[in-house]
Amino acid sequence: MATDSPGSVRKVVVLLRATGDAPILKQAKFKIAGTDKFAKVIDFLRRQLHRDTLFVYVNSAFSPNPDESVIDLYKNFGIDGKLVVNYACSMAWG
Amino acid sequence: MDIKEDAENVFPWDGTLTSSDFFRAAHMFSDKWRRFNNSVPPWLWVPCPKHCLASSHEVEGYLSLKKMFLLKSSEKKQDAGSLISKEESNMLEDEEPFDCATLGPESDYHEINHYDFHVVYSASYKVPVLYFRAYHSDGQPLLFSEIEKDLPGLSVKLLSESKWTFITQEEHPYLNRPWYKLHPCGTSEWMKLLFSTHKCLTTNGSTIEHYLISWFSVVGQVFGLKIPLDMLNCS
Repeated sequence: MATDSPGSVRKVVVLLRATGDAPILKQAKFKIAGTDKFAKVIDFLRRQLHRDTLFVYVNSAFSPNPDESVIDLYKNFGIDGKLVVNYACSMAWG
Repeated sequence: MDIKEDAENVFPWDGTLTSSDFFRAAHMFSDKWRRFNNSVPPWLWVPCPKHCLASSHEVEGYLSLKKMFLLKSSEKKQDAGSLISKEESNMLEDEEPFDCATLGPESDYHEINHYDFHVVYSASYKVPVLYFRAYHSDGQPLLFSEIEKDLPGLSVKLLSESKWTFITQEEHPYLNRPWYKLHPCGTSEWMKLLFSTHKCLTTNGSTIEHYLISWFSVVGQVFGLKIPLDMLNCS
């Protein structure tokens, strides 16, 4: 049963953590539907930071594929009820 | 806190590997890949005893994954904002639609192209480097423009921006034939970043064991390849 009503969609609290020289966001914590792809988090960061290229990773030394769902990441890497997403302004390539 | 400080003292780590670390990491990666990824071809170690660049090392060789096929991401246009709770965040509501340029129904009837990947240790950068080649099912090599069509949108974008520092064609260090290569200049930096929050590093020092899994989580994205999340578990 798929529905958009807030009551039935499992939400995940995402905490965005700046590393290196990346700027800290004013709102670093938000809720996102677990069914959303990680791409949405990356895209949000890109627009907030006005940068096309970011290096985004979670704990356990892992950089998730944008196609992973947020809930799967939360189940594997969530700590204390939230998914911590680290970001740095460095580029992987170039 | 104490643990973290200890870890920093024990591992003033610069993100690089020695060639014997690479040998160990490669075998651990290959074993783990086989355990968690049995629906796709395995990574196999190819020993290369006589390599002129190496200084009498018994562990010379590279990892090889043959005949991998790339499946297009299933990412769909998402209904932006509607699934995000209003009080917590309205910042995502101006979400733009995802770029669907790389999708399209025609990809369903596309012939499946094959990719061979090699992970070769670079003695100058002290990191693993990904080499690859691509061919049609009849063995005919793909043109680079055809390879581009198999890559996720973000890689295609990167290609247009960083033409000479992302993917280039170079001589394969062992096969002496032209292969494509992902540039390793940034690798040690982002490996260092990745491991800066790694809880295993602080508890049992399993950096080497995890190195190639973490590394592949980044380089695999260039091709839209995923790592099963179970493979990331520390134990």
